[in-house]
Amino acid sequence: MTSSSNSKDETQNKTRRGFLQHTVLGSAFAGMTIASTSHVTAQTLADAEEPEITQGVDVLVVGGGTAGHVAAIQAGRLGAKTLIVERNSQLGGTTTTAGVAFPGLFDAWGKQVIAGIGWELVTESVDLDGGTLPNFAKVPQKHWQNQVYTNQFLYAILAEQKCAEAGVEIAYYEFPQGVTKTDTGWQVDCVGFGTKRRIQCKQIIDCTGGAEVVGMLGFPRFREEERQPGSYLFMLGEKHEPGRNQIQRLYVHGADSTNSRTATEANLTGRKAILDRVRQSKQRLMHMQPETGFRETYRIQGETVITVNDYTSGRVFDDAISYAFYPVDLHTKSGVRPKPLRPGTVPTISLGALIPKGSRNLIVAGRSVSSDRLANSGLRVQASCMGMGQAAGVAASLAARSGSTPLEIPLKEIHSVLREHGQIVPQKA
Amino acid sequence: MKKYRRSFVSLLTASSFVVLAVTGILAFVQPFSIAIVGLHALLGFVFVGIIALHVANNLSLLSRYGRTKLLWLSLAITASITGLFLWQPRPIRSVLSLSQNFGPAVEQFAMDETGLLYHYNPAANYQMRLSIRTGENFDLKKPPNVAIWLENASSYHIKTLHGPEDIQARASLPYWDFKVRGWEDAKRQAAESGQDLNQQLMLDGVTSATQNSSFDPADYILPANQENPLPYRLLLEIDQQEDDESSLVYAVDIDNNDPRAFQLLDLVGYPKREEDDEGKEVWDLYFVDGGFESTLTLIDSVLLTIER
Repeated sequence: MTSSSNSKDETQNKTRRGFLQHTVLGSAFAGMTIASTSHVTAQTLADAEEPEITQGVDVLVVGGGTAGHVAAIQAGRLGAKTLIVERNSQLGGTTTTAGVAFPGLFDAWGKQVIAGIGWELVTESVDLDGGTLPNFAKVPQKHWQNQVYTNQFLYAILAEQKCAEAGVEIAYYEFPQGVTKTDTGWQVDCVGFGTKRRIQCKQIIDCTGGAEVVGMLGFPRFREEERQPGSYLFMLGEKHEPGRNQIQRLYVHGADSTNSRTATEANLTGRKAILDRVRQSKQRLMHMQPETGFRETYRIQGETVITVNDYTSGRVFDDAISYAFYPVDLHTKSGVRPKPLRPGTVPTISLGALIPKGSRNLIVAGRSVSSDRLANSGLRVQASCMGMGQAAGVAASLAARSGSTPLEIPLKEIHSVLREHGQIVPQKA
Repeated sequence: MKKYRRSFVSLLTASSFVVLAVTGILAFVQPFSIAIVGLHALLGFVFVGIIALHVANNLSLLSRYGRTKLLWLSLAITASITGLFLWQPRPIRSVLSLSQNFGPAVEQFAMDETGLLYHYNPAANYQMRLSIRTGENFDLKKPPNVAIWLENASSYHIKTLHGPEDIQARASLPYWDFKVRGWEDAKRQAAESGQDLNQQLMLDGVTSATQNSSFDPADYILPANQENPLPYRLLLEIDQQEDDESSLVYAVDIDNNDPRAFQLLDLVGYPKREEDDEGKEVWDLYFVDGGFESTLTLIDSVLLTIER
């Protein structure tokens, strides 16, 4: 009797405990579910059902990467009606989509040499993320030491916010299919999924990285038979802390962003190699970027070509619009051996190097800047591309406003506007 | 049993002596082999113990030798050779210069009113010369403290070419002193953990494609792999102890892939003490600002000449 009674009590206790456990866990789970879901509503577009749209803008920025979003924000801030077309789903390019979230170099030999919109975005994202900025007064032991660790996710959102504040319209998932010259500038036909967009614009800023618009228009551009490897960034076995820790990277040799087919191949190769590593190491894959970071594709033949001698001697071009700073940094199959610049040397970027030779109403910004391969290996880095983007944004906006072409805008005016917008402008000694 | 012990110790003495002799000769002709020099040095310690046993086993015989005139002759010869090698007259130096290894015999540091000259001649096919032209604040009567050293591509000290022994003088060259201490700590930790020094020290994570450099000076100065020599850096720290200013550091990058006979050292910065995240002492260099006067004019220029 006693034994049976005890057994009953135990059963009741178990049932009660089980109920409580389930109830508590259930509530906790429900709480978590509720806590992790919040609600916002996207704006309903008036023309959402229209498969084809037409619009007119002053400045069209093609490519929302490192140079492109800066160019667009600058153009917008100058009052130009600006549209930015980006084939991916966020702004920032190499810094965000490829995950090279440590842009640099903004300083040289103890002083800041690149500032402006790029620096504004970097510092705001670092500040918001509770990160730290490098001390430019300190001599870096390695050239990359003063790159700024940035939270790629915050950076991308801040870039969008700054575009919105500057009145820049963003068109994701779209890319140009055709460009034709018009009396007032260009007609650019873009496609995205479910969208065909015809854009009439006065100026184009080609920030595609591979000078894709320049190529469509038949202006000369060139690329090496063998490009520098791309980098696929991921995190294996360790927690990824954006804006804090370094991220592991895989060299993808042969990576080429010339077109969707070559870029697909690079991504497939990179991801397959990462999967192999996961299997071999039996470690957890904690983070992986959505695509390869590409170092090299096409460079334009510009009105000016920046040579490695110009770069390493710190030549201040007569039409210099921004500084650049990085070692000559050619990545090869056997790795990279950066060649530092001589102390005190700070290269500059010529406005002519952003203008495709013989073109009007067209300017590039970013790694497709007109330069020889070795100079380009130093010019291609993010801070320098941001500097080019801002200068291109100014030149294109002023040209759109005055009905001229970027190369005809008085240099003094470009410099003056750049300074007003926080950029550091090279000066002849 | 006693007989076996004597035979065993004698054989051990002979065999370890052969290894010592061979590694000694190899250390003379083969540059910078840490393995050879390490084996030679460590076996030297073991040899002391073996010799002690050997002497104990043969004490009666030795004491008999000690009562002959030969004792004085052998002591005189040993003292003469030791004195000669310490004094290093020209013929001895020329023999030593045939060595592929480095040592005091191949380094010279001289100072006069016009400048400081450091000469480093580790091998017949390699001569390094550092000519330091003095500036207006250089005073030969109160010469500044100077340290010259090499660092690998990861900024780790790999070899001091010239540096003061005196503690006060070392303290006046804090950047070099910090680098040497870091290097010695890393070596000690590597030895304790049984790790290779390359693994012990932080890997170059950002440019992961660049492998961390070697810690063997030979891999830089006289690389075995001529096709892929490693770049390195020569640094010079100088300080006038009496003034209130910090020391200054000059440096030059040396790349045997791009060999240049003449290179000028550049002013890099001044050292400043800081603490890392764990509160440990760290010395970093800062770009020279307006706070320097006299130290800036200790040196006019530093020219590095390398004949390979």
